[in-house]
Amino acid sequence: MLMRKAPYGSVYPAEGFRAMMGVAVFELPLCVIFLDDGVYTLVKGQDPSALEMKPLGAGFPTLPDVGIKEFYVHDQSLAERGLTAADLVMQARVVSGTEIEKILAGCAAVLPF
Amino acid sequence: MKLGIMVLEGPYQHQAADSAYYFVRAALARGHQIAGIFLFADGVQNANRFINPPGERNIGQRFEELAAQGIRVVACTACAKFRGLKPDIKSQHLQLSGLGVLADYLREADRFVTFGD
Repeated sequence: MLMRKAPYGSVYPAEGFRAMMGVAVFELPLCVIFLDDGVYTLVKGQDPSALEMKPLGAGFPTLPDVGIKEFYVHDQSLAERGLTAADLVMQARVVSGTEIEKILAGCAAVLPF
Repeated sequence: MKLGIMVLEGPYQHQAADSAYYFVRAALARGHQIAGIFLFADGVQNANRFINPPGERNIGQRFEELAAQGIRVVACTACAKFRGLKPDIKSQHLQLSGLGVLADYLREADRFVTFGD
Protein backbone atom coordinates (compact mmCIF):
# COMPACT_ATOMS: atom_id res chain seq x y z
CA MET A 1 0.00 0.00 0.00
CA LEU A 2 1.58 3.21 -1.20
CA MET A 3 0.50 6.43 0.53
CA ARG A 4 1.61 9.35 -1.61
CA LYS A 5 -0.83 12.20 -1.02
CA ALA A 6 -1.43 14.88 1.62
CA PRO A 7 -4.09 13.91 4.16
CA TYR A 8 -7.02 16.29 3.45
CA GLY A 9 -6.71 17.72 -0.09
CA SER A 10 -8.30 14.67 -1.69
CA VAL A 11 -10.12 11.54 -0.58
CA TYR A 12 -7.17 9.33 -1.56
CA PRO A 13 -5.45 8.92 1.84
CA ALA A 14 -8.77 8.31 3.64
CA GLU A 15 -9.75 5.70 1.05
CA GLY A 16 -6.27 4.22 1.20
CA PHE A 17 -6.70 3.81 4.95
CA ARG A 18 -10.11 2.15 4.43
CA ALA A 19 -8.67 -0.12 1.75
CA MET A 20 -5.81 -1.30 3.97
CA MET A 21 -8.21 -2.00 6.87
CA GLY A 22 -10.61 -3.79 4.52
CA VAL A 23 -7.97 -5.90 2.82
CA ALA A 24 -6.12 -6.75 6.04
CA VAL A 25 -9.22 -8.20 7.74
CA PHE A 26 -9.36 -10.72 4.89
CA GLU A 27 -5.88 -11.80 5.97
CA LEU A 28 -3.92 -10.61 2.98
CA PRO A 29 -0.44 -9.70 4.20
CA LEU A 30 0.41 -6.10 3.42
CA CYS A 31 2.89 -3.37 4.21
CA VAL A 32 2.38 0.38 4.08
CA ILE A 33 4.87 2.81 2.55
CA PHE A 34 4.54 6.56 3.10
CA LEU A 35 6.27 8.85 0.64
CA ASP A 36 6.01 12.31 -0.95
CA ASP A 37 3.19 14.31 0.72
CA GLY A 38 1.88 11.00 2.06
CA VAL A 39 4.28 11.38 5.01
CA TYR A 40 2.01 14.18 6.29
CA THR A 41 -0.75 11.62 6.96
CA LEU A 42 1.43 10.29 9.80
CA VAL A 43 2.26 13.62 11.44
CA LYS A 44 1.27 14.06 15.11
CA GLY A 45 -1.30 16.60 16.25
CA GLN A 46 -3.48 16.78 13.13
CA ASP A 47 -6.62 18.84 13.73
CA PRO A 48 -8.84 19.10 10.65
CA SER A 49 -11.89 20.12 12.74
CA ALA A 50 -12.07 23.47 10.89
CA LEU A 51 -12.69 21.40 7.74
CA GLU A 52 -15.29 19.29 9.56
CA MET A 53 -13.15 16.25 8.81
CA LYS A 54 -11.79 13.56 11.10
CA PRO A 55 -8.06 13.37 11.85
CA LEU A 56 -6.50 10.69 9.70
CA GLY A 57 -3.28 10.21 11.62
CA ALA A 58 -5.08 8.84 14.66
CA GLY A 59 -6.15 5.72 12.75
CA PHE A 60 -2.74 4.45 11.67
CA PRO A 61 -1.49 3.29 15.11
CA THR A 62 -4.54 0.95 15.24
CA LEU A 63 -3.48 -0.93 12.09
CA PRO A 64 -1.27 -3.48 13.89
CA ASP A 65 -4.54 -4.65 15.54
CA VAL A 66 -5.77 -5.86 12.13
CA GLY A 67 -2.47 -7.58 11.41
CA ILE A 68 -0.55 -4.89 9.51
CA LYS A 69 2.94 -4.92 10.99
CA GLU A 70 5.22 -3.33 8.40
CA PHE A 71 5.34 0.45 8.04
CA TYR A 72 7.97 2.32 6.04
CA VAL A 73 8.59 6.05 5.60
CA HIS A 74 10.74 7.50 2.83
CA ASP A 75 13.71 9.32 4.36
CA GLN A 76 14.01 11.97 1.65
CA SER A 77 10.27 12.79 1.74
CA LEU A 78 10.57 13.40 5.50
CA ALA A 79 13.73 15.50 5.15
CA GLU A 80 12.33 17.66 2.33
CA ARG A 81 9.40 18.57 4.59
CA GLY A 82 11.52 19.31 7.67
CA LEU A 83 10.18 16.24 9.48
CA THR A 84 11.83 13.46 11.47
CA ALA A 85 10.59 10.10 12.79
CA ALA A 86 9.89 11.87 16.12
CA ASP A 87 7.11 13.91 14.44
CA LEU A 88 5.12 10.80 13.51
CA VAL A 89 2.14 9.23 15.31
CA MET A 90 3.71 5.79 15.21
CA GLN A 91 6.97 3.94 14.77
CA ALA A 92 7.77 3.31 11.13
CA ARG A 93 11.05 2.26 9.57
CA VAL A 94 12.72 5.19 7.83
CA VAL A 95 14.04 3.88 4.51
CA SER A 96 15.77 5.17 1.38
CA GLY A 97 14.33 5.21 -2.12
CA THR A 98 16.54 2.25 -3.04
CA GLU A 99 15.15 0.26 -0.11
CA ILE A 100 11.60 1.15 -1.18
CA GLU A 101 12.37 -0.16 -4.66
CA LYS A 102 13.44 -3.47 -3.13
CA ILE A 103 10.35 -3.66 -0.91
CA LEU A 104 8.05 -2.97 -3.87
CA ALA A 105 9.86 -5.55 -5.99
CA GLY A 106 8.98 -8.14 -3.33
CA CYS A 107 5.25 -7.26 -3.32
CA ALA A 108 2.73 -9.28 -5.37
CA ALA A 109 0.65 -6.12 -5.92
CA VAL A 110 1.01 -2.40 -5.25
CA LEU A 111 -2.00 -0.24 -4.45
CA PRO A 112 -1.16 3.46 -4.89
CA PHE A 113 -3.32 5.96 -2.97
CA MET B 1 -2.39 -13.93 -17.31
CA LYS B 2 -5.13 -12.96 -14.86
CA LEU B 3 -5.43 -9.23 -14.20
CA GLY B 4 -7.12 -7.41 -11.33
CA ILE B 5 -8.25 -3.82 -11.92
CA MET B 6 -9.15 -0.96 -9.59
CA VAL B 7 -10.58 2.39 -10.74
CA LEU B 8 -10.38 5.33 -8.32
CA GLU B 9 -11.81 8.15 -10.45
CA GLY B 10 -15.26 8.83 -11.92
CA PRO B 11 -16.16 9.47 -15.56
CA TYR B 12 -15.08 12.46 -17.68
CA GLN B 13 -13.30 14.49 -14.94
CA HIS B 14 -10.25 12.27 -15.20
CA GLN B 15 -8.71 9.87 -17.68
CA ALA B 16 -8.55 6.91 -15.29
CA ALA B 17 -11.94 5.37 -16.20
CA ASP B 18 -11.19 5.62 -19.95
CA SER B 19 -7.73 4.12 -19.50
CA ALA B 20 -9.08 1.24 -17.42
CA TYR B 21 -11.65 0.41 -20.11
CA TYR B 22 -9.11 0.47 -22.96
CA PHE B 23 -6.65 -1.53 -20.87
CA VAL B 24 -9.23 -4.23 -20.13
CA ARG B 25 -10.30 -4.41 -23.79
CA ALA B 26 -6.69 -4.67 -24.96
CA ALA B 27 -5.93 -7.34 -22.34
CA LEU B 28 -8.97 -9.40 -23.39
CA ALA B 29 -7.99 -9.05 -27.06
CA ARG B 30 -4.58 -10.49 -26.15
CA GLY B 31 -6.22 -13.47 -24.47
CA HIS B 32 -5.69 -12.39 -20.85
CA GLN B 33 -8.32 -12.96 -18.18
CA ILE B 34 -9.79 -10.33 -15.87
CA ALA B 35 -10.19 -11.33 -12.21
CA GLY B 36 -12.50 -8.34 -11.87
CA ILE B 37 -12.84 -4.57 -11.88
CA PHE B 38 -13.27 -2.86 -8.52
CA LEU B 39 -14.76 0.65 -8.60
CA PHE B 40 -13.54 2.39 -5.47
CA ALA B 41 -13.79 5.99 -4.14
CA ASP B 42 -15.09 8.23 -6.97
CA GLY B 43 -14.73 5.24 -9.31
CA VAL B 44 -18.22 4.16 -8.18
CA GLN B 45 -19.67 7.04 -10.23
CA ASN B 46 -18.95 4.92 -13.32
CA ALA B 47 -21.67 2.54 -12.14
CA ASN B 48 -24.48 5.10 -12.66
CA ARG B 49 -26.87 3.80 -15.32
CA PHE B 50 -28.22 7.30 -15.95
CA ILE B 51 -24.94 8.55 -17.42
CA ASN B 52 -26.04 10.00 -20.75
CA PRO B 53 -23.52 12.34 -22.40
CA PRO B 54 -24.99 13.90 -25.56
CA GLY B 55 -22.80 13.05 -28.55
CA GLU B 56 -19.96 11.65 -26.41
CA ARG B 57 -18.62 8.25 -25.43
CA ASN B 58 -20.72 6.73 -22.67
CA ILE B 59 -18.29 5.71 -19.94
CA GLY B 60 -21.02 4.22 -17.73
CA GLN B 61 -22.18 2.08 -20.64
CA ARG B 62 -18.62 0.85 -21.22
CA PHE B 63 -18.44 -0.72 -17.75
CA GLU B 64 -21.95 -2.13 -18.20
CA GLU B 65 -20.83 -3.64 -21.52
CA LEU B 66 -17.84 -5.33 -19.84
CA ALA B 67 -20.04 -6.60 -17.00
CA ALA B 68 -22.63 -7.91 -19.49
CA GLN B 69 -19.80 -9.92 -21.11
CA GLY B 70 -19.35 -11.70 -17.80
CA ILE B 71 -16.53 -9.65 -16.28
CA ARG B 72 -17.09 -9.05 -12.59
CA VAL B 73 -17.49 -5.28 -12.15
CA VAL B 74 -18.10 -4.35 -8.53
CA ALA B 75 -18.63 -0.91 -7.01
CA CYS B 76 -17.78 -0.35 -3.33
CA THR B 77 -21.00 -0.20 -1.28
CA ALA B 78 -19.66 2.30 1.27
CA CYS B 79 -18.30 4.63 -1.45
CA ALA B 80 -21.68 4.42 -3.21
CA LYS B 81 -23.42 5.51 0.00
CA PHE B 82 -21.07 8.48 0.33
CA ARG B 83 -22.14 9.57 -3.16
CA GLY B 84 -25.88 8.84 -3.02
CA LEU B 85 -25.57 6.07 -5.58
CA LYS B 86 -28.56 3.95 -4.61
CA PRO B 87 -28.81 0.35 -5.88
CA ASP B 88 -31.62 1.29 -8.31
CA ILE B 89 -29.31 3.85 -9.98
CA LYS B 90 -26.65 1.20 -10.61
CA SER B 91 -26.11 -0.26 -14.10
CA GLN B 92 -27.78 -3.62 -14.54
CA HIS B 93 -24.84 -6.02 -14.65
CA LEU B 94 -22.65 -4.28 -12.08
CA GLN B 95 -22.73 -5.30 -8.43
CA LEU B 96 -22.36 -3.41 -5.17
CA SER B 97 -20.14 -5.07 -2.58
CA GLY B 98 -17.43 -4.47 0.01
CA LEU B 99 -13.66 -4.55 0.24
CA GLY B 100 -13.70 -8.34 0.51
CA VAL B 101 -14.09 -8.31 -3.27
CA LEU B 102 -10.92 -6.24 -3.61
CA ALA B 103 -9.15 -8.78 -1.40
CA ASP B 104 -10.48 -11.59 -3.65
CA TYR B 105 -9.20 -9.86 -6.80
CA LEU B 106 -5.79 -9.31 -5.19
CA ARG B 107 -5.64 -12.99 -4.29
CA GLU B 108 -6.77 -14.25 -7.71
CA ALA B 109 -4.84 -11.89 -9.98
CA ASP B 110 -1.31 -12.45 -11.29
CA ARG B 111 -1.01 -8.68 -11.73
CA PHE B 112 -3.07 -5.90 -10.20
CA VAL B 113 -3.39 -2.52 -11.93
CA THR B 114 -4.81 0.66 -10.37
CA PHE B 115 -6.18 3.54 -12.45
CA GLY B 116 -6.39 6.78 -10.49
CA ASP B 117 -4.88 10.21 -9.99
